[in-house]
Amino acid sequence: MAFALETLAKIGFMLLFMLSLLPALIWAERKGAAFIQDRTGPNRASILGIRLAGLVHPIADVLKLVFKEDVTPARAHRVLYSLAPFLVMSVALSTYAVIPFGDYLLVGGRQVPLVVADLSVGILYVLAVASLGTYGIVLGGWASRNKYTFLGAMRSSAQMISYEISMGLALMGVLLIFGSLRLTEIVAGQGALLFGLVPKWGVVVQPLGALLFITAVFAETNRTPFDLPEGDSELVSGYHLEYSSLRFALFFMAEYCNMVVGAALITTMFFGGWQVPWLPRQTLEQHGGALLTASLGLAAVVLAVAALLLMRRARRERGKFGDARDREPGLLGGVCAALALAAAAALLLRPWTIGPQAASVYATFAQVGAFIVKTLFFSWLFIWVRWTLPRFRYDQLMSLGWKIMLPLGLVNLAVTAVVMALS
Amino acid sequence: MFESVCFYLCGGLMLLGGIMTVASRSAVASAVWLIFAFLNAAGVYALLSAPFLAILQVLVYAGAIMVLFLFVIMMLHGPVMNEDLRSRSRWFWPALALPLAAIAGSAVTLLGRARGGAFPAPAPHGFGRAEQVAALLLDRYLLAFELISIVLLVAIIGALSLGLREGRRT
Repeated sequence: MAFALETLAKIGFMLLFMLSLLPALIWAERKGAAFIQDRTGPNRASILGIRLAGLVHPIADVLKLVFKEDVTPARAHRVLYSLAPFLVMSVALSTYAVIPFGDYLLVGGRQVPLVVADLSVGILYVLAVASLGTYGIVLGGWASRNKYTFLGAMRSSAQMISYEISMGLALMGVLLIFGSLRLTEIVAGQGALLFGLVPKWGVVVQPLGALLFITAVFAETNRTPFDLPEGDSELVSGYHLEYSSLRFALFFMAEYCNMVVGAALITTMFFGGWQVPWLPRQTLEQHGGALLTASLGLAAVVLAVAALLLMRRARRERGKFGDARDREPGLLGGVCAALALAAAAALLLRPWTIGPQAASVYATFAQVGAFIVKTLFFSWLFIWVRWTLPRFRYDQLMSLGWKIMLPLGLVNLAVTAVVMALS
Repeated sequence: MFESVCFYLCGGLMLLGGIMTVASRSAVASAVWLIFAFLNAAGVYALLSAPFLAILQVLVYAGAIMVLFLFVIMMLHGPVMNEDLRSRSRWFWPALALPLAAIAGSAVTLLGRARGGAFPAPAPHGFGRAEQVAALLLDRYLLAFELISIVLLVAIIGALSLGLREGRRT
């Protein structure tokens, strides 16, 4: 019973983490694109004058999509047309089951491992589910009965098959080094220090593998420079051209879900997962009190500075818009000030005297935080690359996959195997 | 109890998938039903304590081979095909009868064995892990394993040479 409850709680946490990240990522995509292209980006939508630098826009987007008409093309294959978006989204969400987002949490003296399902074939599960993701795109594109969607579907199936091989090969090196298919063991193995200096992360021991894997993940998620299945300048918008309303929203959300999955996988396999670099769990627990004090102090200072800046802006820009928007900097400044005060007040509780139990919980939170920070960074990398690189041509895509990445992956695997056998 | 329910559910759905694969009148629908059957077969494997085999079933058959199947079917028919086959193949009934006969045969055999109380012992703990499959494949059956890879290589080269010859003619 306890096991079922724990699993449900973990599934809930993962879903919440995922789904709450989506609007933030969509915001980051639009604002990031604007920043890279030297424009302002979304800044209009507001609730009672609160705009949060455009963070309100995703809410407006969702409302718009909900109230749009849901169109099915007259000659579409109805069943498969309706099934496709659900396939894409459920596949995107189910990869999370095996990704460890922390070591363990101490609940009532019991260690609860922070992973939904610790499969003995974990990494193969990820690859298997990823390969099923193709179907949503292929069937959706085919069922729409439209030449553009169909071309998008064809491209996506060819692309996914080609890059899955490189993806698997790039992972083999890491599997050889850490000697396990279990993601929890791979992450635990990355906690060691190499020569007592550098964290033994996958990227340190497998730099080529990391590069190949990141490239293959970009191709698997259909993000630029690999977004040929969408190819908006040639295929209008590719496989989801005919979809509207919430079905389109599912495709759209699945793309961002896949991005977060990709980022989480890159983090787990090559960047230490939930490991805080140079601070193993033991250290975190031993100096838990001091570290907690330091983090609280830092948070208080940062929030106080943000509050000061916002308050100054509120005074400087008084009456700039002449409507509710004028209240925003002052309000946000107030929230920041309140949070800073809360952090400072928490310091009065003498956090440096916490017991071992609380220190353990603190260590868990620090590790989950490290996982989230790394995942967010790689999610941002997806956005960064999208607005920096142009799209591949189809023949370039194929020759990169088969003539460059596949041989490099094989060489990487052979070299790793020889080195492992000799040492 | 829960496991038995899952087992019969997966088995039943796999049968349904198989039957619909044969009975569907559209090639794409057939392929989708076949994928459904493969996924349920993977479920059956997983419940029979063969997690590695289950994952490989999804990864290789449902994930890679069927994508290629769909690719080819769609490539041949295009997006606006009239894919309804109005008449059943005359092989439909024999094709249906054969697997039914096979099922009936194995059911009779199994029931006969059950009466004799000769069911095999349940798999030991840790059975069917990747390590065990690897130990068998790369040790005991190494020669057969490598020979199969040569057969596959020959098939690839054959397909390539046929494809290249076609290309030259046009």
